[in-house]
Amino acid sequence: MAEKVIQEEKRVFMTGNEVVAWGALAANAEIMYGYPITPQNEIMHYWTRLAPKNEREFLQTEDELSAGFTTNGGVMAGRRAFTATAGPGNTLMQEPISMAEAMRLPTVTIVQQRGGPSTATVIYSQQEVTLTTLGGNGEGLRVVYSTATHQELFDYTIKAFNTAWKYRFPTFVLADGYQAKMRESLVMYDPASKGIEMFPTEPFVGKEGTPGVDREPGHFRNTYNVEEELYDVLQEHFADYNKMTPEVAEYKEIGSKESKVVVIAHGVVARGAKAAVEDLRAEGFNVGFFRPVTLRPLAVPELREVANNADKILVVESANGQMDRLLKEAIYGCSAEMLSLFKPGVGITAEEIEARVREIV
Amino acid sequence: MEGYIGEYASGKSEVAVNRAIDLFNQGHQDVTLVDLDIVEPCYTLRPIKNELQSLGLHVLAWETRETIGLGEAGNVLRAENKWALRRDGDVILDIGYGAEGAKTLNLLEGAKEEENLHLLVVVNIARPMTATVNDIVEYVNGMGTVHGLINNSHLGDDTDIDIIQEGAQMVSQAAKRLGLPLVATAAVQELAEQMNWRDCMGNPVRGLKRYMPCTLW
Repeated sequence: MAEKVIQEEKRVFMTGNEVVAWGALAANAEIMYGYPITPQNEIMHYWTRLAPKNEREFLQTEDELSAGFTTNGGVMAGRRAFTATAGPGNTLMQEPISMAEAMRLPTVTIVQQRGGPSTATVIYSQQEVTLTTLGGNGEGLRVVYSTATHQELFDYTIKAFNTAWKYRFPTFVLADGYQAKMRESLVMYDPASKGIEMFPTEPFVGKEGTPGVDREPGHFRNTYNVEEELYDVLQEHFADYNKMTPEVAEYKEIGSKESKVVVIAHGVVARGAKAAVEDLRAEGFNVGFFRPVTLRPLAVPELREVANNADKILVVESANGQMDRLLKEAIYGCSAEMLSLFKPGVGITAEEIEARVREIV
Repeated sequence: MEGYIGEYASGKSEVAVNRAIDLFNQGHQDVTLVDLDIVEPCYTLRPIKNELQSLGLHVLAWETRETIGLGEAGNVLRAENKWALRRDGDVILDIGYGAEGAKTLNLLEGAKEEENLHLLVVVNIARPMTATVNDIVEYVNGMGTVHGLINNSHLGDDTDIDIIQEGAQMVSQAAKRLGLPLVATAAVQELAEQMNWRDCMGNPVRGLKRYMPCTLW
């Protein structure tokens, strides 16, 4: 591979899509497979500009089904491979991602959410939470990081590759069209300079030696003959997933475990929620903030602690309760009353959140 | 007549908008600002068209309700924009990004023959693709005919004088190698004042009021 992509730590000014391309480069991603869709296009544009200079590769496929399956293939060949999509592209990609889930392929997928259902709007929503966390005909055995800033887009794109290859579950960075197009500064760095070691890749297929003689044969299956066979394999996958969960579940919070009202938001909406909570706390209100960084798996023990201590939880999202459903499952039986501020497909400002909190405190 | 071109998110539109307003404020009666970005739906003049017109500028840009499939496909070039170079007074073009964006000029009537059209490349050294003197030279060489450079080095809300001055040095060196003038450095009003309206290389500083942050969509 060519010399280090990022020689020294540097503050730069970029759009979110570019940040993802640079993050993937810094994470030593070797190939992107992709099919264009707004608002993720510039991930592809920048990757294709950066790839030749850095000895990386790109394949534009005929659609998202193919982009997903070629990503699976790249991973099986031992390549640190990724793809990016949005909206109806994400819908199509659930088929290959289900296969990745079945075969435990460490694919990395960047999702820049746009409005739904269907083609809807090109720019923004948080309506791909259900699809990204639980889509496909599987059991949602994925890791989904929801970012809020350009710095996080860089950090978590790098992290996504490591999580995927370490635990072998399909991993997502879930952002949105606002983050994709917005411009702000961030610090780019060489992961090694921060002590981040890139988890090594290895091919699933085409290894040396005769299978069954020189090495264990690889069985990478998405088809089973009998129900019991599938059942047994899934039990192993669930066990691996549960073992991984405390190691990967992440959240951020402000006073969430000692406040009577707690605002829960994720992604770009969490920026507004955090600002609103900080304002209200400065005025002396007993309000806390909780932001799941991983939407799958959620930080369940911490959420339950919050939901057993608070009187009221206000869930704020640019969807009609897609995160809310995940939260309700996680905190089932806890005592807090669940309230909501849902604006599907529309941005939510700190002022709106602050006004809603004032109504309920 | 001036056209502003450059890297994605270099600040072309912000520099173009402020240039048009400055000219108007200097007493030029007829100042026309033209949106020639027919690809990118975000951070264009469309959302601030009415605000700029209320200041006294002529603004040739789509209004959101007139567009079809905004952001999903490219925009159609407005007929009025196609004839922008035939207008009286000052004409400021805000052109789409990159070398491909600069080709939008080919769609304008009279662009090839127009001798008074000056194309200025806006450079921000905090953009990774134009972060070194070599990168800037290579980038500008890929743009076709250009007449000068603008140093618009910044970090958004995190901008300080250091990045502007570092940009002034780097873009000056690149300009020298390209045989082009560095026309000006651009900086938000407050920092421009602190710099006493000259950068460290002696170039004039244009003060910017930021209009573009509210044009995300």
